[in-house]
Amino acid sequence: MRRGHVRVLLHGAWRAFAGGAKEVPLDAADLREALVALTVAHPSLAERLRDEHGKLRPHLALFVNEEDARLLGWEDAKLKDGDVVHVIPALSGG
Amino acid sequence: MPKTVRLLVGTKKGLFQMQSDADRKKWTVLEGPYGAPAPIHHASYDPRDGSMYAAINSTWGGSRIEYSRDMGKTWTASKNPAFPAGSDRTFYQTWHIEPGHAKTPNVVWAGTEPAALWKSEDRGETWSLNTALDEQPSRAKWVPGFGGMGLHSIAIDAADPKFMQVGISVGGVYTSKDGGASWVQDNAQVGQPKAADAKDERPDVFGCIHKLLAHPRFPGVRFMRVHLEVYWRDPGETNWTYRTEGLPTHFGFAAAIHPKDPKTAWCIPLHDLKRTAVDPGIGVYKTTDRAATWIRNDAGLPKNAPLESLREGMDNDDFDEVGVYFGTANGDVYASRDEGKSWDRIAQYLPYVTSVHAATLA
Repeated sequence: MRRGHVRVLLHGAWRAFAGGAKEVPLDAADLREALVALTVAHPSLAERLRDEHGKLRPHLALFVNEEDARLLGWEDAKLKDGDVVHVIPALSGG
Repeated sequence: MPKTVRLLVGTKKGLFQMQSDADRKKWTVLEGPYGAPAPIHHASYDPRDGSMYAAINSTWGGSRIEYSRDMGKTWTASKNPAFPAGSDRTFYQTWHIEPGHAKTPNVVWAGTEPAALWKSEDRGETWSLNTALDEQPSRAKWVPGFGGMGLHSIAIDAADPKFMQVGISVGGVYTSKDGGASWVQDNAQVGQPKAADAKDERPDVFGCIHKLLAHPRFPGVRFMRVHLEVYWRDPGETNWTYRTEGLPTHFGFAAAIHPKDPKTAWCIPLHDLKRTAVDPGIGVYKTTDRAATWIRNDAGLPKNAPLESLREGMDNDDFDEVGVYFGTANGDVYASRDEGKSWDRIAQYLPYVTSVHAATLA
C-alpha cells in the first residue's frame, strides 16, 4: 500500500489540544493511518480524537482537501501525495 | 492563619477564579474563563498540596479532567477515566472531583457519568475504576435522573480515610469502610414520609441523591439532600434521619456544612418542578441544631428572585467566622462573611454558574 505524503491542518480547538501546532506533515495511505500518525506526533490528541473504546468522538469534522471525509469513506478515505487533511471542530448545537 | 480566599467558579462557559483578602469584601477576578466554551461541572482545590482540579465537560474532544500545580495559571489534561475494554459504557463527563484524605496524600477521587467512582493515586494524572462499586449487583437498578446518571458525592470521613460514602443519581448511597475495596448500600432512613404510592417499604435504592457531605473535622457527621428529603446523620448512626422543619420545600441541591461546628449547615431550597427558589425568592436556610430546624437568611439577597443554585453551587471557607458562597444560574455569585446571616453579590453577568468551590489560603 503506497502512502501519500500529506499535510494535516489542525483548526480551532484541535490546534489547542496539540499544544498550538497548526500543521503536521505525515505519510499515510488513508485517513485512519493519518490519525494514527497524528497521535504519534502529538500524543495529547489521542484521547481527544477517540474515546476509550477507540471510537472517533462526535463533533469532529474531517475533510480531505475540500471534501467532507464522510463522503469519501470516513476513516477509509484514501490519501495521496499532496492531499491536505483538515481536522475541524464541528459546528453543532445551538 | 488564613489570609486569602480563592473561589473556583465553574460555569457553562469556562472556569473563573476570584480572590479576596481576609476581609472578603473586595473581590477580583484573577483568571477566566478557562476552558470556554466547555462547561465546568466542578472544580476543586486540594489543600494538601495546592493542586487544582477541573471537570471540563467539553463537546469538542470529549470531556476531560485537568489539573493545575500553579494555582490555576496553567493546566494539564489527566489521562481520561476509561471504562474497561468490552464495557458497554463510555466515559461521558465528570461530575465531581474530591481530594482525598490528609492521610492519603496522593489520592484524589472523581465521580462521573455514567455513574462510577474513580481513584487517582498520582494526584490526578491517571484514574482507575473502582471495580468493587462497579460490580455491585444493585447497579442494575441505577437509572438516570433529570440531569443524567452520575456519581456526584464523595464523602470521606474526617478521621478515617477508609470510611467513605458515595451518592449517586439515581442509585442511592453506598458506604465503604475499607477505602473502596467493598461497598454496602446505605439507604436506611428514619422519619421520612412514605413514598407517594404509600407502599410500606421503600426500595433498597432509594430516591435520587442530590448532595451528600461529610463533616471535614468531626468523624461520622453527615448531611444529605435527597430529591424531596433532607437528612442528617450523627456519629455511630447507621440510619439517615429526616430533618426538614422550617424548610419551605424539601427539594434542592446546594448545600454546605460548617467546617468547625458539627451542628451547623446551610442549604438552598427550590421548587421541585420549576427548580427555582419559591416565594419569597432565593434564601439560604441555616440550621444550628443538626438540621432539626431551619431558619431563612436573605439579608442582601435580591427580593422575590426565583434564582437557582446547582448541586455544586455552594461552598464555604475555613475562616474563624466562616464565609459561605453560592452561585446562581443567572451568573451571580453571592458571599456571606457572617456565616450566612447576610449576603453580598460579589460577581454578576458570569455565564450560568455550575459550581463554586472556596479555597482558603494562608
